[in-house]
Amino acid sequence: MSQGSGHVSDALPSAGTRPRRADGASGGARPGPEATSVVNLQQVSKFFGPVIALNDVTLQLQPGMTGLVGPNGAGKSTLIRLLTGQLRPSLGRVQVCGCDAWRAVAKRHIGYCADADAFYEEMSGRAFVRLIARLHGLRGRPARQRSEQLLEQVNMAHRADRPIASYSKGMRQRIKLAQALVHDPDLLVLDEPLNGVDPIGRLEILEQLRNLAAKGKAVLVSTHILDEMDKLADRILFLCRGRLIAAGSLAQVRTMLADHPLRVAISSSQPRALAARLVRHPTVLGLRFEGETGLIARVRPPHEFFRMLAELASEDGFEINRLRVLDASTEAVFDYLMETARHMR
Amino acid sequence: MSSLYAILHLTFLSARRMIWSRQTVLNLLLLVLATVACIAWSLREDPTPERFVAQILLPIYVAFLLPISCLCYATAGIAGDREEGTLVYLLATPLPRPLIYLAKYAAALTLTLIWTLGGLRLLGQAAGPVGAQVVALVSWPVLLASCAYVGLFQWFATLFSRATIVALGYALFLEVLIGSMPGIVKRLAVSFYAQILIFDATGDLGVASAGPHNPAMFLPIAASAATLVLLIATVGLFLLGGWTFSQREYV
Repeated sequence: MSQGSGHVSDALPSAGTRPRRADGASGGARPGPEATSVVNLQQVSKFFGPVIALNDVTLQLQPGMTGLVGPNGAGKSTLIRLLTGQLRPSLGRVQVCGCDAWRAVAKRHIGYCADADAFYEEMSGRAFVRLIARLHGLRGRPARQRSEQLLEQVNMAHRADRPIASYSKGMRQRIKLAQALVHDPDLLVLDEPLNGVDPIGRLEILEQLRNLAAKGKAVLVSTHILDEMDKLADRILFLCRGRLIAAGSLAQVRTMLADHPLRVAISSSQPRALAARLVRHPTVLGLRFEGETGLIARVRPPHEFFRMLAELASEDGFEINRLRVLDASTEAVFDYLMETARHMR
Repeated sequence: MSSLYAILHLTFLSARRMIWSRQTVLNLLLLVLATVACIAWSLREDPTPERFVAQILLPIYVAFLLPISCLCYATAGIAGDREEGTLVYLLATPLPRPLIYLAKYAAALTLTLIWTLGGLRLLGQAAGPVGAQVVALVSWPVLLASCAYVGLFQWFATLFSRATIVALGYALFLEVLIGSMPGIVKRLAVSFYAQILIFDATGDLGVASAGPHNPAMFLPIAASAATLVLLIATVGLFLLGGWTFSQREYV
């Protein structure tokens, strides 16, 4: 699957409850995303007594890196537990590589790095990873070789003989990552994998996750550190109050938030003349100068503003040296989506 | 084949963790206390098989030590993993849940039988020749009761997050209460069938008279029926536990 084909069935909140695809693709003769999906959730809801933890979620995950973000209580953990077969949906269907995620056979395709900091504390990291390899059916030498390979990969080989109880949080996260990869899964689900990891360790783990995604694995990462998502994920799932309120690449989601003003930094050799033209245009809500050559514009809707700016550059000869969107980070998009979700209620 | 290998590995892992657990320390402590009680009994009393059964075997071993030893390991397997949060690693493997349950059961049952039968032998030795003579005859009832208790307590572990406390409550209060009730209600207690089998096995030593003073209250059934009930309970509770474990969500 190429990068451009979309890792997630892109979706945004519509007036109703069902997300729609951002790329607007319809069925036709082409195979649907379900055909190539590693994960397929169809109208999945999960109730805990009277509480709806997940509400009518439909999505597909394909190879690549996907981020899962949402505030506390959004349903992230429930979604992860459904994907890893720890929970069964109250309604709908959860499939991983075509198998019902609850069934044991699906677990061959799933690697899970849980948020909970639980281990067989008396074991060494090496013994633990080897144990998980054996529980996945690897025997003797293959189990040892695979464990060593993964301990090297997570940079724990030289420290893996100490009891896990003596490990730092970062070392424990690395061991968790190693055990999740031990059976070479198609889907890797990581719940807050960078918690407690030092900055250098974070970079290493992020690099490993990117490599896995590049090798064709579907990697789903849940994190509350939104900055990481900008660097990490090709696609992001936004959850709020049990609903999938948006899904897609950050740019796709941001572009579709047409009614949300966007801040754009423009660098031009003629900032005052350009400002005079921009301020007359209805897409420009506000404008201020930034230094000698800079302008910061608040625009809505963004796509019309960019079209107008392109015309100014090509037809009126305005020199645009640099164009930068200031609030298209995951955090900014997330804040806006959460605000939108609140208003939908 | 790989599943079988994984299950064997899980069984050994579970057994190893159970051995090096606080449950073993507790079991050991209780066994030492019971052994001391047996030695004291053998010094003070005029030892007869009847007295050994009435004063040691039934009140100390059958009513207390046996269920405690069983619940220690039977709940440790699954409830221990649940409490420590490590169950998620087992449930994330491609092993079918009933097989995970089987591995835990096999580990718990093996250790429990070693402990209960070994403990029984030790108590018999501590009580002198009379004790040894009685103990040699009651291994089968103890084995059957152990199997039933392990099935029951491991089933508790699939149901309750604090299974050890629930099992303790059952063993020390409910089982005693049910076993002491008049009428057929006592037939719900494992210890009732264990007592019948013990009286039957030691009948030749004249121990039957050590049974409840009022046979009309005790309402014994045939030893063969008691054996059958314990076997059915063992298999039934194992299947029920396996089914429960395979259906429940553990988060």
